[in-house]
Amino acid sequence: MKKLKVGLISFAHGHAFSYYASLRSLPEVEIVGIADESAERVRQLVERDGVPYFGDYRQLLAGDADAVVICAENVRHAELTIAAAQAGKHVLCEKPLGISVAEMEAMIAACRENGVQLMTAFPCRYLPAVAEAKAAIARGEIGEIVAVKGTNRGSNPGGWFVDRELSGGGAVLDHTVHVMDLINWMLGAKVSEVYAYAATRFGAAEIDDAGLVHVKFDTGAFAVIDTSWSRPRSFPTWGDVTMEIIGTDGVISVDGFAQKNEVYSDGDGKGTWSYWGDDMDELMIRDFVRALLDGAAVPVTGEDGLRSAEVALAAYESSKLGQPVSLA
Amino acid sequence: MKVAVVGCGGMGRVHAESYARMDGAELVGVCDIDGTAAGELAAITGARPYQSFERLLEETAPEAVSIALPSHLHKEYALKAAAAGKHVICEKPIALTLEDADAMIEACRAAGVSLFVGHVVRFFPEYEQLRRQLADGRIGVPGVVHAKRGGGHPAEAKSWFGDADKSGGVIVDMMIHDIDFVRWTLGEPKSVYALNKRDDRMDYALVTLEFRSGAAANLEGFWGYPGPFHYAAEFAGSEGVIRLDSTKAGSLTVRKAERAQAGGPVVEIPQSASALSPYDLELAHFLACLRDGSEPAVTAADAREALRISLAALESIRTGLTITL
Repeated sequence: MKKLKVGLISFAHGHAFSYYASLRSLPEVEIVGIADESAERVRQLVERDGVPYFGDYRQLLAGDADAVVICAENVRHAELTIAAAQAGKHVLCEKPLGISVAEMEAMIAACRENGVQLMTAFPCRYLPAVAEAKAAIARGEIGEIVAVKGTNRGSNPGGWFVDRELSGGGAVLDHTVHVMDLINWMLGAKVSEVYAYAATRFGAAEIDDAGLVHVKFDTGAFAVIDTSWSRPRSFPTWGDVTMEIIGTDGVISVDGFAQKNEVYSDGDGKGTWSYWGDDMDELMIRDFVRALLDGAAVPVTGEDGLRSAEVALAAYESSKLGQPVSLA
Repeated sequence: MKVAVVGCGGMGRVHAESYARMDGAELVGVCDIDGTAAGELAAITGARPYQSFERLLEETAPEAVSIALPSHLHKEYALKAAAAGKHVICEKPIALTLEDADAMIEACRAAGVSLFVGHVVRFFPEYEQLRRQLADGRIGVPGVVHAKRGGGHPAEAKSWFGDADKSGGVIVDMMIHDIDFVRWTLGEPKSVYALNKRDDRMDYALVTLEFRSGAAANLEGFWGYPGPFHYAAEFAGSEGVIRLDSTKAGSLTVRKAERAQAGGPVVEIPQSASALSPYDLELAHFLACLRDGSEPAVTAADAREALRISLAALESIRTGLTITL
């Protein structure tokens, strides 16, 4: 069997652990190394699985990896992606793709010029309810899309996420992009205008942790997304991905993590929701790997990442102005 | 206390039935230009039916009148009642324009009668509890709030709902409940931004209010939802979240093997197994205020403010801009 050689650059974003586990489970993948400036962060994996470790990502890029998975702090995505592209590696980059439109365009260009593919990590497309909603819309079951109300609420992730120098933004940047990507994907329309509320309301020190991002599309459709890190410690789960999709002939309600058991354990000190549905990360990683092995186009592109991140960036601008801003 | 009801549609029936069973209230008459509607409601409640409002006032001498007419008629009838020295209990919205609302408030003041407006959500126990717990600091400082309300298009039963000049549309007619509620709980909003799709079959609106406190609320109103009437709210604060959801609070479900007869109530009203409905609580409260002269839980000024915010949302839709309040 032809194997895809994959390396991972940085485990700063915790999703790297899940992507790593998914890659490990695929027989057609050979993990050729982990690069992380923090040896401590990945020590357990490296020792348990005997994976080659590099303190400097350039050492990993100098090797024979076909592709790399980048889960660094947001501000480093551009540098790492461009370096990987120049080394001839395909890239799966954690969202948000970048922290400015210019750097995301540079990332996309670098990959194109070096003949490698760039995929943005939008695993929510692989939530079964989301995929089925997309299919139902495509079949015309609710007519034309009129509006979407979405939420991607979560808890304050802390650490570098709340340090603007490393994240480039708070909850609005972190949590606009997932549902924005889903809406872009389902509507296939272009965002023309953005209006947003961004504030600090839930205890984050100096970064936005509350957001309501509104968009208008060139088709006349519109949407709002709650991006807030508003789930308290006492909440039964980390957060949510929900969408109410309003069509001319019906409504589709998506609650991405509704497949859950309710767990009441004295050990937890609170009731919890325990998700048992399909693993979206695993499905996304499998698709990424298969596309590269088949020489096919990756299912989610760098342009997709740009189109959702630019809405978050416009949201910050709108929030400062207190008025809608148009998206050129 | 002698009371009368003008307007024998869905809400008029709710008012009349509530008065008919309320201790301390005597429903003396019901009035509608449609004599059949007045006759049917009179038969149910034991009140006398009228087609002329003037005759009802003259012959039954009520102390207070409930106005449950299409919204564009609120002012005309409130002014008539006030001129006759009757207290006014008016369904929401108070009116469709601030000029009309002001005329009603001024006419009642000048006549020395009270004006109450039926922002009944303040009397729903789940909303009242949410407000109390918020005030008690159970979720810290509120940050991001959602409220929604939706159901079938009321114009399917009563065509005037579909005419924006008569009902005001989903924001002015229905979302105004949630506008009043978030203003009651979060204080004064400083800006409003709104999105809307309206055609013959649906009126769907998203309205975001930003408050002076720094909190924000996104309100969703939907006429033409392909399912039963429902409402929900979520308040997220610095130390917790409170949610209420009518679809998750069903304490009683009756399933009949045979399909029920077609033709339900005009505007679907959520049923709950409570000793007193929110409408009973609201109307009893208004009558109690009349007896002891106390200030109501929701004033005409509150109703005017909810209308002002609703109209600002319509202006945001027209201009595409955020409207400063």
